Amino acid sequence: MPLISVHNLVKEFSGQRVLNGINLEVYEGDLKVVMGPSGCGKSTLLRCLNRLIEPTSGTIHFRGQDITGADVDIRALRQSIGFVFQQFALYRHLSVLDNVTLALLKLRGMSKAEAEEKALHELNRLGIATHRDKYPSQISGGQKQRVALARALAMDPVVIFFDEPTSALDPVMSREVADLINQMRAENVTMLCVTHDLRLARQISDRVVFLDEGVVKAEDTIDHLCNAHSDSKINDFFSSGVRGQ
Amino acid sequence: MSDWSIFRDDLIEQMPLILGGLGKTLELTAIISLTGFLLGIVVFYLSLSPSRFVRSIIRGYISFFIGMPLIVLLFLIYYGMPQWGISLSPFTVAVLGFTFNVAAYNAAYLTTAHNGLDPVEAEAARAQGFNRLQIFKLITLPQVLRLSIPALTNQVICNLKDSSVAFLIQYTEFFARMQEVAATNFQFFKAYFFSALVYLALVSLIVLASRALERRYILPT
Ligand SMILES: Nc1ncnc2c1ncn2[C@@H]1O[C@H](COP(=O)(O)OP(=O)(O)OP(=O)(O)O)[C@@H](O)[C@H]1O
Ligand SMILES: [Mg+2]
Repeated sequence: MPLISVHNLVKEFSGQRVLNGINLEVYEGDLKVVMGPSGCGKSTLLRCLNRLIEPTSGTIHFRGQDITGADVDIRALRQSIGFVFQQFALYRHLSVLDNVTLALLKLRGMSKAEAEEKALHELNRLGIATHRDKYPSQISGGQKQRVALARALAMDPVVIFFDEPTSALDPVMSREVADLINQMRAENVTMLCVTHDLRLARQISDRVVFLDEGVVKAEDTIDHLCNAHSDSKINDFFSSGVRGQ
Repeated sequence: MSDWSIFRDDLIEQMPLILGGLGKTLELTAIISLTGFLLGIVVFYLSLSPSRFVRSIIRGYISFFIGMPLIVLLFLIYYGMPQWGISLSPFTVAVLGFTFNVAAYNAAYLTTAHNGLDPVEAEAARAQGFNRLQIFKLITLPQVLRLSIPALTNQVICNLKDSSVAFLIQYTEFFARMQEVAATNFQFFKAYFFSALVYLALVSLIVLASRALERRYILPT
């Protein structure tokens, strides 16, 4: 049984169809990479999956349960999904350590000592514990992304979503993030990553899902997609990425 | 010279009343600063409500109390309400009138600061599973308050200065007492000059406290 199974997902914003019947499955231990041009609805898809956005129609099964219904405990659902944002979204008034402990204290009800131990464990795992007392404004973009990931991992999520984890980073830092994702993959963390960064996609996966015009256009290896595909949209997207390398 | 000594003698003679008035000025200022602060936070929280109805009520509240001259509001409650059978003490009227007024201003300052925040942090908190009130308490409010320290403490200064209009509804605060001093010896310049010095000294204290608060809570950049 897939961990996440999306069936015929539609999302309209005031009449404009952004997602037009998405079908997608994520299995435990998967690293699923979703690519597509800017504005094709990648962020919208991720936000529908944890109900930050209400889908217009379709079903989303999470561990076998349909989570599109009204009686679903949305906040419990969100706690089991780690979300790493493009702009890091660290809480700027909290230190690195407090960014990670906040949810442990307030949502998991841990004691301060327990929460700090758990947070330091995650910060150590990502090699950033030495910055524990700094504020987000005092660390680099790559370091922020590590903290954001540590904050997500601390909640022991079932799956981690990455929304364009590298688009605010330079190539060196992007490489760092790719290494992190590979590290997580080696530790068997289930991940769903949306990106339009072909370089990142290559570094973390050989297969991608290609999203365009609100539907999944293809799911294939990057090599196949890059090699003169019959679909002109796919061709445009992946060949420009190749030239950009 | 002898003028000054007469004034000084009157001042000393009336000192217990003056100090009493000063106490009432400080009491009113402290109370309305606190109640206006707390109600301002509540109004600000409601202004973020997902309900369009609640938001428009709050917008109406803020425009009404910012648009209404305080003195009119105080007279309306103090002199107007008794005609409806509601008589309140000068102190109660002052606290009520000021609180509604100050809360409207404070809520407007907090809203301005909120407009400058990056909404992605609140979204990250939502994605972590926090509820609306938790996000407000843990993320939005701490950030907005930090950004608003100058505006909020400036409001405390306004509260101190404006508290002097309460004498018009029979609240015998510091300025009312100083008018009495002036009336006994007709030394108007000295009495009001002395009043000015006292207000300036108090304002300076508030400014110093504000700077200390800012230093304590400023975020590193
Ligand atoms: N809240 C909203 N209201 C109206 N339209 C929206 C809203 N959110 C997104 N859209 C529209 O939906 C489309 C898809 O947006 P989305 O952010 O999901 O794209 P994306 O693939 O993540 O793009 P990018 O690569 O730039 O991040 C865009 O055309 C956008 O204008
Ligand atoms: Mg996006």
